[in-house]
Amino acid sequence: MNNSPVIQGRLGSLIVTAFFFIAGIVALYDTTSYSDTDSQVFPQTVAIGLILFTSISLITQFLKPSESEGFGSGIWWRRALLIVTMLLACAAMPYVGFLPAGAIAFAGGLIAAMHDRWSARTVLVYWGSGIVVMVAFFTLFKFALQVPLP
Amino acid sequence: MLRRTILKTLVAATCALAISTSAQAELKGSVNYIIPFGPGGESDISARFQQPFFKEKFGQDLVISYKPGGGGAVGWASLNGLNGDGHTIMGVNLPHIVIKPAQKDVGFKTEELNTFHMFHFTPDAIVVTADSPYKTLQDLIDDAKANPGAVVMSGSGKASANHLAQIKFDKMAEIKTTYVPFKGTGAAVTALLGKQVKAEWGYTTVGAKQGDAVRMLAVAMEERHPLFPEVPTFKELGFDMIGGAYRGIALPNTASADTKAMWSKMISEINTDPVFRQKMLDGGFAMLDVDADQMDEFMKARTEEYLKDAKEAGLIK
Amino acid sequence: MDFGSFLSALTLLNIALALFGVVAGTIIGSIPGLTATMAVAVLVPITFSMEPASALILLGAIYTGAIYGGAYAAILLNTPGTPSAIATTFDGYPMAKRGDGDLAVALACFASVFGGLVGALALLFLAPPLASVALAFGPVEYFWLSIFGLSLIASLSSGNLMKGLVGGAFGMLLSTVGVAEISADIRLTFGSQTMIGGFDVVGALIGLYCIPVLIDLCAVPDRHLKVEEGVQKVRIGEAARIAMKSKFNLVRSSVIGTLVGILPGAGGSVAGLVAYSEAKRTAKPEQKFGEGEPDGIIATESANNATVGGGFIPTLVLGIPGTPPDAVILGALLVQGVRTGPSLFQEGGSIVYTFIYGLLIATVLMLPAGLLIGRYAYKSIVTIPKAVLVPAVGFMTIIGTFAIRNSISDVIIMICLGVFGWVVGRFGFAASPIVLGLILGPIAEQGFVQSWTIGAATNNLTGMFFGRPISQAIVAFTLLTLLVPFMIARKQRKAELEAKA
Repeated sequence: MNNSPVIQGRLGSLIVTAFFFIAGIVALYDTTSYSDTDSQVFPQTVAIGLILFTSISLITQFLKPSESEGFGSGIWWRRALLIVTMLLACAAMPYVGFLPAGAIAFAGGLIAAMHDRWSARTVLVYWGSGIVVMVAFFTLFKFALQVPLP
Repeated sequence: MLRRTILKTLVAATCALAISTSAQAELKGSVNYIIPFGPGGESDISARFQQPFFKEKFGQDLVISYKPGGGGAVGWASLNGLNGDGHTIMGVNLPHIVIKPAQKDVGFKTEELNTFHMFHFTPDAIVVTADSPYKTLQDLIDDAKANPGAVVMSGSGKASANHLAQIKFDKMAEIKTTYVPFKGTGAAVTALLGKQVKAEWGYTTVGAKQGDAVRMLAVAMEERHPLFPEVPTFKELGFDMIGGAYRGIALPNTASADTKAMWSKMISEINTDPVFRQKMLDGGFAMLDVDADQMDEFMKARTEEYLKDAKEAGLIK
Repeated sequence: MDFGSFLSALTLLNIALALFGVVAGTIIGSIPGLTATMAVAVLVPITFSMEPASALILLGAIYTGAIYGGAYAAILLNTPGTPSAIATTFDGYPMAKRGDGDLAVALACFASVFGGLVGALALLFLAPPLASVALAFGPVEYFWLSIFGLSLIASLSSGNLMKGLVGGAFGMLLSTVGVAEISADIRLTFGSQTMIGGFDVVGALIGLYCIPVLIDLCAVPDRHLKVEEGVQKVRIGEAARIAMKSKFNLVRSSVIGTLVGILPGAGGSVAGLVAYSEAKRTAKPEQKFGEGEPDGIIATESANNATVGGGFIPTLVLGIPGTPPDAVILGALLVQGVRTGPSLFQEGGSIVYTFIYGLLIATVLMLPAGLLIGRYAYKSIVTIPKAVLVPAVGFMTIIGTFAIRNSISDVIIMICLGVFGWVVGRFGFAASPIVLGLILGPIAEQGFVQSWTIGAATNNLTGMFFGRPISQAIVAFTLLTLLVPFMIARKQRKAELEAKA
């Protein structure tokens, strides 16, 4: 059992490095469509550098596997909930307005980060403070800083 | 003091009243004025000049915000998705809005932008440092003829007003100069003052801002700029060059005809204010009054000219 | 010096404006996404109805406060509140994690005030001669300066140089996405209209630094920052002692900050990185940079606040803004009818001197105000239950990123970049090299292309790149930074071998 995080770390490291390698190839291919050499030379050099560095990194990783921590022991549904609700908020924003959309993200984050048992008091205090924080920021941005929030 | 404030408010109120009765559209709150570039450029500064006059005349705040990216493309591509109720306007620049979409798909087309007023332009000018060996335009031409390509000139961006002017002038004077694009006029001027380049393709605003530190060899105007009576026009020197970067304002295309008419009228009113005109002229700008009715004709003529120049320069196919 | 302008800076109104500006700036700067540029831009219209000098004092105070405020989020949330505070995260967050957050915040305040004073004094006494620094830096110098900044990647990713280099190169590629800044090509958008604007640096910073912290925070039930139970005494004295001990670092970093601030193409983020890199290069062997070394915070924070005064030098002397907030302030000045130029400094009693004294006063006021706000910020971040902290910060990242360009797609890009950063970070690819590439990439690219064009036109490419004295000096420093760690390691190994033998 102790072995699996290590393997995950090594394998993941290889996969991520390979991803960067592919990114370098794609970028290099993309530069062929540029019409101006001025805009071509820099990304071309960097892409070649990226391909080079990733190749060296891949080779050394095969010889001496990399010691990275991997994903660790965190709880996946919490991570996912946080990100999904944030993205959901962005998707909903043009339709429902900023505050309700922000509330989606806030609720998601609150549930995701709540590791203790809910009690009547915490429900009241946490959700209450959430509303206060959101309204305060919304007011600050919309009216004091005049950001045109939807 | 108090009396003046009351008077001002009264004047503003009557103006607002006059506007709201002449057109059905009216302003209900502050206006978001988006500049599709970062702060400090000519677009920003001219908007800042308008800001206090707008507040004084129409009583509402003109809130300037920046939406930089893609040489303006990010802002213009988003314009028609914004609210067309007249409380959101955006600066537009020529030749940018003609050249960019002609080169590549940048998310908007020239004719899709609902431009309602062009209020000024910054005439092209060749700028050198005060201690430059180029005393006249002829000195620069002579040097460029003797050493083709060795006259290095800075300018703001590629396929920009500066770049088009450089290509056009090279052709007219039958010379070859090297154009080095910089990120904005400020950086191009820094390179000039630091003697990284021999001359700069800039605007009359550079001459106004830098004062004694620089000298302009020629300006691309019909007549000499009132701020620089000693600087000749290209026309006087035998080169038929009149132009520069033109700046105006556009509404989202969902805006009603009334809203458009109201805005055109409001910007015209600021533009005819003698104090505003003087401030702009002192800043090196040249005034322009193309309102909504004349816009189509103006845009057509400009577009044709820019596309022709850019095609000849090989910037677009 | 003329006391007339000093006294006119000391009016009650001006002091009140300075205090208000510093406090407002600190709060705005501490919110990721709200930058000094935006804070200044929003307040410009208010200044139209003021005396020019008072207006300048208000804007300058906000600016300097915002640069300091950026340190809070950097230390307590691992998220630079403004790009200037990037290098503050390197040591600030580790310090906060082990329970020294209050010390770090106090240190940041001392360093910021010191750096701010050095920058403002340079502006007061040396502005016209120092302005020539801005002009001495041509495209080549910017190119080499960015390479020097990138060399920091090597020392940041100790133990895994290749992964650091991969991150740096990837960051530079990210910086090219969208419509090219000075040429007209569209790069790496793959036909997508949302990518035309490219990656906004501030949004990318929030994504790469803040989102991973949030993801990790909600995944495990541990506390956010370690709190020393029972220790409730104020650690200002301890911070002052540490700052005093590092006086050489303070002075050097402030000078670096002032000089880099003068360069119109660089700014606070580059200043912080350069000062950090220098502090690290000259570190004593027992100092562990990157693991909570107080000197790292001192270097960054003094340097980035020194850029405020430094940045005003080219702005006021040459009419060329040193930093983006300076550009906004310059616009406000033009509208007020103030003409910039060396003559501003010659006319005695002019508004410029009133402004500089105002800036000095604002910087001094930042000490009590900053320590007070800092303590409060620390306490609230530490005591807020995690279940509220995570969503509150998450909400802040959304609203802050939106405010940069008023664009929802920027927010989506920020979140996706954050998830990406978290995944690759888990496998040894840290965020900082990517960010360095993203920030320094455009400087390197423009500098290189411009130098190449000029060099080719004058048939002197080698002379262009290697023949200029300032470039040579920067190249030498870069080599030193890259080679010194290797040499030290070799010496240590040799010593170890000898000890064994």
